[in-house]
Amino acid sequence: MTRVLVADDHPMIAAALDVLLRGTDYELAGRSRSGTETMTQVERVKPDLLLLDVHMPDGSGLDVLKQLRDTKKGPAIVLLTAGMDDGQLLIADKLEPDGIVLKTSDPAHLLECMEQVRGGQRWIDPEIAERTRDAKERALLAPSLTPRERQLVELVRQGLRNRDIAAQLGVTEGTVKVYLHAIFDKVGVDNRTELAMRAGELLGT
Amino acid sequence: MTFSGPQSMFKYQSGRVIALGRVMLSLLFLVSIWLDQSQPAQAATQTYGLLLFYVVFAIGLAALCWRNWWLDARLAAPAHFIDMAVFTAIVFSTNGYTSPFFLFFILPLLSAAIRWGWRETMLTAMGLVLLYLTAGLLVAGSEAFELQRFIVRSGHLVILSAILIWFGIHQQFARLFFGVDELDRRLGRDEEPLSRAIAFAMEATRAGSGALLLAVVDDHRFAGIRLTGGRARPVRADQPLMREPIAAALFDLRRDHLLSRRSDGWHRFAAASKLLDADVVRDIGAAQGLIAEVRTGTEHGWLVLWDIPDLGVDFLELGAELGRGAGAILDHDALLSATEEGAAARTRLSLARDVHDSVVQFLAGAAFRVEAIMRGTHSGGQVESDLKELKRLLIEEQAEIRAFVSALRRDRELELAEAVEELKTLATRLARQWSIDCRVGATNDDASIPIRLQLDLQQLVREAVANAVRHGGASRVDIDLGVDQDLLRMQVKDNGSGFLPTNGDAPVEPWSLKERVDRAHGSLSLFSEPGCTNLLITLPLAGAA
Repeated sequence: MTRVLVADDHPMIAAALDVLLRGTDYELAGRSRSGTETMTQVERVKPDLLLLDVHMPDGSGLDVLKQLRDTKKGPAIVLLTAGMDDGQLLIADKLEPDGIVLKTSDPAHLLECMEQVRGGQRWIDPEIAERTRDAKERALLAPSLTPRERQLVELVRQGLRNRDIAAQLGVTEGTVKVYLHAIFDKVGVDNRTELAMRAGELLGT
Repeated sequence: MTFSGPQSMFKYQSGRVIALGRVMLSLLFLVSIWLDQSQPAQAATQTYGLLLFYVVFAIGLAALCWRNWWLDARLAAPAHFIDMAVFTAIVFSTNGYTSPFFLFFILPLLSAAIRWGWRETMLTAMGLVLLYLTAGLLVAGSEAFELQRFIVRSGHLVILSAILIWFGIHQQFARLFFGVDELDRRLGRDEEPLSRAIAFAMEATRAGSGALLLAVVDDHRFAGIRLTGGRARPVRADQPLMREPIAAALFDLRRDHLLSRRSDGWHRFAAASKLLDADVVRDIGAAQGLIAEVRTGTEHGWLVLWDIPDLGVDFLELGAELGRGAGAILDHDALLSATEEGAAARTRLSLARDVHDSVVQFLAGAAFRVEAIMRGTHSGGQVESDLKELKRLLIEEQAEIRAFVSALRRDRELELAEAVEELKTLATRLARQWSIDCRVGATNDDASIPIRLQLDLQQLVREAVANAVRHGGASRVDIDLGVDQDLLRMQVKDNGSGFLPTNGDAPVEPWSLKERVDRAHGSLSLFSEPGCTNLLITLPLAGAA
């Protein structure tokens, strides 16, 4: 039996995986709902395979992946995600998980992936593989942002208003607006919502 | 021809006030010397001649400058010197330092203070004191010199001069001073900002027409609108309207005149064709009027006003203020729009996150369950009970989505009482789902809350109840809501073991709750004791739109 730890904060997914693994060669060894809890559970349960959600509170799946990769040991890791932006795709690509499965793909892919990973192979969802290639190309072509512009993009991502951004950077609101329009032109977005959506990709985080 | 009442006749018309004052004073001099048998004490013929000349000069000057701002500015300095010379001559011819016409010095002093700044007022005062001394001493000659009276009169002159110099200094800072918020209240935000800025400037100057052209800084493609006869039409220019940075100027294209103020406060007389792009101004429809520079955080341009019934030199200062005011209106509007856009963007991002967290995750989970059931069919598993469970979950999710969509369909705000009613429905559903007793109440529900908060509340209640049951084993959850000033307060009380799980596992933090509360810029505190857990969440009502 392969012992599996499911790390996902969404109860529906966790319960569904429980049902899906029932009657298979996989044994559900434990569950966790946050990044920190996952690290504790990995230490305690010592699973063979970790099904790891990317979006979790208190330390994302990518944080957990990085920490486990840094220790050079631990279980095989399959990232389970409902969607990643370009920045997350590039990070995941660098950290080389054993598998990546899209929650929105055919659920049969998950079991196929787990089989491959158990056999020592890597299995990346075809859609994720294609999007990662595209993200790499975009990253090569992307205009580079100045440190100030990166700072501003980060603050927009946090949902701050121009007035708050101006206060944080110690400039006037007019200056913030000028900076923002320059960034809009540079990265080819029309408004701050689009900018916030693409922040991860632009900042590479 | 429009009727000008006394108030509007002299509003922003200091030139007219000075000219009229000069006429009245000169007439008063002539009449009082004629009536006073003891005057003129010296050179009677020359004095009458001078006074007659001065009356004619004063009337002629007033007539010339009454409706001509260019001549008013052009002749201001020469007239000023003539005033001072006449003052000296009158004092000289009417008993020197004891002259009853001594107070005439007020006219040149006042006109310097009104027209120019403190430097010119000070120079005038110094000149007048010197002239008074000279004239007084010349007349005194060998007669008995009344030192006391001379000192008292010199004192009058110095004190009044000092007051007027002060007035001259402070006149520079006496801006129109208006708050943009006040303007918003007066003008409203229904019109678009360019029209509002023009309408505001037209109202202040009583101009019949106005235009405002703007371009992004460093760009020369200007665009804007023209308001004339209550109708707006777009205007464009591919060149700057002014060739030099000038805060405000009066122009007359027919006579090729342009009057502005130099940085040292003196008038600058120039040919309009030299400093102004006359073709563009003419295309806009203006022949004579006021042009003022407008700057905003990102744009620059010009405000042009024409068909002004009583255009005068004072409009230079007024124009500079209106230019600043128009910039402030546009900046203020941009700020409000950015705030609204920001709030809308935050709501969209938040909604996208909610849809992702609930609907997408649920559907993904449902697909996993279907896959599990399909596999179970082959291996003879408990298909029927799994299908029943999936059906229950789908029906529940359907109700959640319906509530979510109905909240989105609403206006920007809803009554807290309505929100509480919906949360009660949700509580009934959650009670059934978790087999617990779940109640919702409100202590002060006559407030309005933004839609965004209602969506947050629904998610928070779902997560709080799930936490209470899963981690604390609670069988009863009571939720109480209320509004205190600018804060929405929610208390969730349950009879579970709190975040110390009953099975002895490590304490669990309410991460998902905390994350959502942080996103809404609220605060969360947790008090836990055996058999009672109290979760207190406060969310700001402002900024949650």
